[in-house]
Amino acid sequence: MARANRGMVRSYADDLRLFPTWTKRGFLVVLAAVYLLLPLVLNEDVWPGGNGDLWANVLALAGITAIGAIGLNLLTGYTGQPSLGHAAFIGLGAFTAGYLGGGRLLGTPPHGYNLNLWVYLLVAMVLGGAVGFVIGLPALRLRGNYLVIVTLGLVYLALYLWQKWTTVTGGNAGTAMPPRASVFDIGGHRLDLLGKFDVFGQTMGPKQGLMYLAWGLVAVVALLVKNIVRTRPGRALQAVRDRDVAAEVVGVSLFRYKIGAFVISSAIAGLCGALYGLYLGYLTPDESSLGITLSITFLAIIVVGGIGTMYGPILGAVLVGALPKLIDQYATSLPLVSGIVVTDPSKSGLSKGALSTIIYALLIIIFLVFEPRGLAGIWRRIQAYFRSWPFRY
Amino acid sequence: MERVSADAAPLLHVEQVTLRFGGVSALQDVTFDVMPNELFAIIGPNGAGKTSIFNCLNAVYRPQAGSIRFDGEEIIGKRPPATAALGIARTFQNLGLFVNLNVIDNLMLGRHHLMKTGFLAGALWLGRAKREEIANRERVEEIIELIELGPYRYQPVGMLPYGIQKRIELGRALAMDPKLLLLDEPVAGMNLEETEDMARYILQVRDEFELSMILVEHDMRLVMDIADRVMALDFGQPIATGKPEQVQADPRVIEAYLGQPDEAAASR
Repeated sequence: MARANRGMVRSYADDLRLFPTWTKRGFLVVLAAVYLLLPLVLNEDVWPGGNGDLWANVLALAGITAIGAIGLNLLTGYTGQPSLGHAAFIGLGAFTAGYLGGGRLLGTPPHGYNLNLWVYLLVAMVLGGAVGFVIGLPALRLRGNYLVIVTLGLVYLALYLWQKWTTVTGGNAGTAMPPRASVFDIGGHRLDLLGKFDVFGQTMGPKQGLMYLAWGLVAVVALLVKNIVRTRPGRALQAVRDRDVAAEVVGVSLFRYKIGAFVISSAIAGLCGALYGLYLGYLTPDESSLGITLSITFLAIIVVGGIGTMYGPILGAVLVGALPKLIDQYATSLPLVSGIVVTDPSKSGLSKGALSTIIYALLIIIFLVFEPRGLAGIWRRIQAYFRSWPFRY
Repeated sequence: MERVSADAAPLLHVEQVTLRFGGVSALQDVTFDVMPNELFAIIGPNGAGKTSIFNCLNAVYRPQAGSIRFDGEEIIGKRPPATAALGIARTFQNLGLFVNLNVIDNLMLGRHHLMKTGFLAGALWLGRAKREEIANRERVEEIIELIELGPYRYQPVGMLPYGIQKRIELGRALAMDPKLLLLDEPVAGMNLEETEDMARYILQVRDEFELSMILVEHDMRLVMDIADRVMALDFGQPIATGKPEQVQADPRVIEAYLGQPDEAAASR
């Protein structure tokens, strides 16, 4: 039977489609094409002389942070449990990857495990989820600011652990991350995303490889989380956020869903951490790399992107998550900002780290005051405007 | 045929329930039965303990003494989600809706205890999860039709008018397929027209659903019109239970609402 219009909903199954209109399906195809082709463009082997590798690097980092932000959004945006503990799970994921994936400490041979990419990503997720379960337990009794304080403590506890557990993290010397990220490695055929490989006859490097890996996983994680959010467990999470007493009365177990949100969010953060390790290549556990600023970055991303929306954290990650790299690249050309090494105190100014902290703080304040629904809210307003266009309302 | 049969076993048996907050007795030796299919009303002045009874039936509060047997099971000692699974649904006096979710999601949450999809099955969007969504959505749509919420389906409930929100709460409770429905002041703050609409929905539910209802309400006309039996409560103690007209005429009930005639005369 023909539809009266292409987007018409005729059954409950129709109503459940993720991409109900041809516009949205077309958009999906465009995104897939961009995913496949953009690393060809942002590539100095293909377009020598450009700034391609820098931008590929920025986008790889944006994808990696998008994954972590999607996880934090499930916890904070959908379940209403604010957390500053994300940096601890990022660290956990990164050191797991380093230890299991053939990373090495300074002056020693690589750790002996040398496991495959998918194995150490999975282990990072499982460990993240397990620690998330433990952290979720106090969250049953705490909410709001009190939970923020507890999770803040977790960050410093983790930092202390990383600095003392030198056999895994290398302590103050740090550890090298896995040198390879092999998507497959069977019978001499190997696709190592951290090496050189070919796509459409063009040579790709590690920056493009990480771009493929990160954004591929963004799609997978976003799809899984979206499915949770639109089915029974996701509705229960949102019920806990909106009215916990009423949620219990309709049969939602606070224990199950608060803990569940912590476990899933931390598992995703573990995955994000492992990828972050690959991206950095070398990780030293200290305040500037795995401290509170990293947690605030993720919070800034979901606030700017739009709390409790699906594409918010992804938009936020592209705009905010890429900032540190851009600041690194361009900050020294700004007034009052110094490079890393300050030898003459009279010439010192803001460090790059301090500058990005200030920018995050400003972004959070500006968005919370002027646009609490974030970029996703702005996008919705644009949609609403054009739905009734050319009329004003 | 009589809707409420007098010799059936009671669905709910509340016996000698006492609830204290520190030294204050919110409920003192409260005893009553609710029969299958009965519409039982609880009235009383503010602070008499009406909502406290609901909170005990829902296991939100835990009484210090007494017993609450529902359908053969003891409620005291259980957690609230377990009462939902047993078939007790409720609406809240000051609304307990999930304000950021739309009408369908709120009603689907009423189906929560009847569904099975967990985190994994949901994330993978297994065929089972999808079939369950569709089957329960069908039931939700029946209720949306019954209480006329069609035009609001996809709107976040926090944005809707108060009268509509009260109706959505009734809908969410009905979506739970309950055996016992607790209605906490369903027409509080409503105008005459909205009150009549709500009364019509309640009567429709009474006639079409196999369930008992307990109604807490200050609107005496509504209570006297639709209740099968009424219990009057004062300072946490039942003072009269019976047919609406009996309770209305009971001198102790009049005293609880209006004070003692002698006292009033003496103070003058």
